[in-house]
Amino acid sequence: MWRLSHLGVLVCLVSGLAWQQSAATAPMPLPEDGAVRNGTFTDAYFNLSYPLPPGWTEGMAGPGPSHSGYYVLGTLRPAGDFTGTIVITAQDMFFAAKQFGDAAAMAHDLSGAMSGLEGMTIDRPPSEVRIAGRRFSRIDFSGVGLFRSTFITEIRCHLVSFDLTAKSPERLAALALSFDKLGFAGDRGAERADPRCVGNYADTEHLVTKVDPVATGPSFTPIPVRIVVGTDGSVEHVHVISATSGQRDSIESALGRWKFKPHEMDGRASAIETGLLIEFRPGGAVKYSTGNRSPLNRPG
Amino acid sequence: MPKVRFAHALFLAGAASAMAGVAALSGSALAQAVQDPGLRGGPPGAGGPLPNLIPGGSGFFKAATTFFVQINSVTGTLNPTVENGGPGLGPRYNLNQCSGCHAQPAVGGTSPKINPEVAVATLDGAQNYVPSFISLNGPVREARFVNNPDGTPDGQVHNLYTITGRPDAPNCKITQPNFAAELAAHNVIFRIPTPVFGLGLVELVSDLTLQTNFAADSALKSQLGISGHFNTSIFNDGTITRFGWKAQNKSLLMFSGEAYNVEIGVTNELFPNERDTTPSCQFNGEPEDMTIFGTTDPVSPPTGSTASDFSTGIVNFATFMRLSAPPAPVAPTQQSSLGSQVFQNIGCQACHTLTQKTGLSAFTTQNNITFSPLSDFAVHDMGSGLADGVTQGTATGQEFRSAPLWGVGQRIFFLHDGRTNDLLQAILQHASSGSEANAVINNFNLLSPQNKQALLVYLRSL
Repeated sequence: MWRLSHLGVLVCLVSGLAWQQSAATAPMPLPEDGAVRNGTFTDAYFNLSYPLPPGWTEGMAGPGPSHSGYYVLGTLRPAGDFTGTIVITAQDMFFAAKQFGDAAAMAHDLSGAMSGLEGMTIDRPPSEVRIAGRRFSRIDFSGVGLFRSTFITEIRCHLVSFDLTAKSPERLAALALSFDKLGFAGDRGAERADPRCVGNYADTEHLVTKVDPVATGPSFTPIPVRIVVGTDGSVEHVHVISATSGQRDSIESALGRWKFKPHEMDGRASAIETGLLIEFRPGGAVKYSTGNRSPLNRPG
Repeated sequence: MPKVRFAHALFLAGAASAMAGVAALSGSALAQAVQDPGLRGGPPGAGGPLPNLIPGGSGFFKAATTFFVQINSVTGTLNPTVENGGPGLGPRYNLNQCSGCHAQPAVGGTSPKINPEVAVATLDGAQNYVPSFISLNGPVREARFVNNPDGTPDGQVHNLYTITGRPDAPNCKITQPNFAAELAAHNVIFRIPTPVFGLGLVELVSDLTLQTNFAADSALKSQLGISGHFNTSIFNDGTITRFGWKAQNKSLLMFSGEAYNVEIGVTNELFPNERDTTPSCQFNGEPEDMTIFGTTDPVSPPTGSTASDFSTGIVNFATFMRLSAPPAPVAPTQQSSLGSQVFQNIGCQACHTLTQKTGLSAFTTQNNITFSPLSDFAVHDMGSGLADGVTQGTATGQEFRSAPLWGVGQRIFFLHDGRTNDLLQAILQHASSGSEANAVINNFNLLSPQNKQALLVYLRSL
């Protein structure tokens, strides 16, 4: 009898752990997991693949994800003579220090910043181009012997940028042509259904059950967090974008137990992803805010 | 082919080959010619007070300067011939006066050409050895240990020297840290002094202005792989901190109080307790630097400024910094103007923000002043190459404040640990795995030699 009850406790413990593993900490692609493999840059989170130009390779790694939800996804460069670079970045639209409503707004802001610099020429004002069936904003500019082109598109409420730099306009044009091979189907060969991206969802209107994380690590630092909420309102995934390891553990453990009202789209429950900022205060208090300043609501 | 034509072709080929050789030679020569122009000549362009100070301000600044150059001994009585000597040195210390470290190109600056840490090791009977990372022609350095012996994070300053052996510290017998062992364990990192010119203006910039400036060029930062964030006063009011290599200090008073205790060993009203509490090495009441309650200071002679006379040493230090003028750049030349364009075009100014603006000040003549520190005062990930493994506030082991570049034309040593005196190397070492500066340094590496050189000339004009 004693053995049986002991076994029951063990089963409960193991199943509880299994729930935790299958819920908030279940492996899901993260934006920062992009890498070059077999001559192709791939990022499963953004579902993108880019075969590098011939003779190009991965450059020095960039910084980790930032407090403002900014990622350097990849840096590419020629393996031989150093004639140019490609930097692939993403800005989480929930947490940006400066909000841009869409890719075009960001390109126009960049154009304004660049045109204000002495010696800089805008060679191609911001304009829309289509690559691999996706809308991009493109801007070209040059100065002090460097020729640059930026392509920006929006994916899962991130502004994903491809920034090309070359020593001549011809080399820049060749690099730009390599984007003809850009793809957004990844290895699946087809568009997948990403969770709908909804801003301000982690608010009192939608949140049913909330468990506070234990305050740990530096206070007063807003920690950006993305969560995926399943069709039943449970939290399927927690991505603590930038925090100490202690803060990460604490937030993952608590938010994994949050419960939301299921999000409905056209009368049917749909999975969503949303963002929130968590800030620990001295004394253990926890402050929440929903991150983005604009009411984003985008299809996946 | 007729002979004449053949000869002509040969001549042309030879000429072309010769021209190619000249071009290659000149390209190579130019490539080699990219070098740090070195310290700029002329007057220091720094060290004086801000213009248009409020009444009494100039007098306070002048008096505060005498505190900044004050030499401390253990009890303040060792050498009565030293003018304006003060008590409180040790039990552990790095130097015995502020201006010894903050010296280049004028009082308030940074590490001088001749390192005073060598001479002070045995000054006044002290019995210290000079650690291997300190040299006469090297930078002034403080040492921090990354970890404690049990592997937990340390990060604190471990002073170079002790007062053991000094006649004003009888019976004090403490030993220096075993730097050789810590170096062998790769557990020591270094910091050099930051210049303090113009810091009063920095203190007057509101958090909102810093945040607005930081966000203003978001699109540009995004294009360059730059993010960064502000360090904050995590145990106090949560506002932006902005002084020190990791922007770890909130205010100039805090900066002064911490340095007075940590670097020289003088306890004060902000940091009133000795860091080394060995009983046989305590010679003064705490705090050793305190507000003067009477009409005269028993230690320092009257300075001519009533405000200074009644203030503590740390208030005087803070006032010296608060009222000091920013370094003045030299007049632009064609080359330095091109360098300024390069600086902005390749993205240096995404972190080394060109201008900031003060808010409303108690010193009304400092209201709404636009100045050029060339820093956003945020901290950025500088990669594995510059990482020191020390966390301060919210700045991690790889993060450092964008060093304000004003006055860089007259600095001898660069980067947080003074590892190089070559400005070109300092630029190149911004790039390493994980650094936010990688894209900007890639841009730099793509520049022509002429444009690289122009950038160096511009920086040395500051």
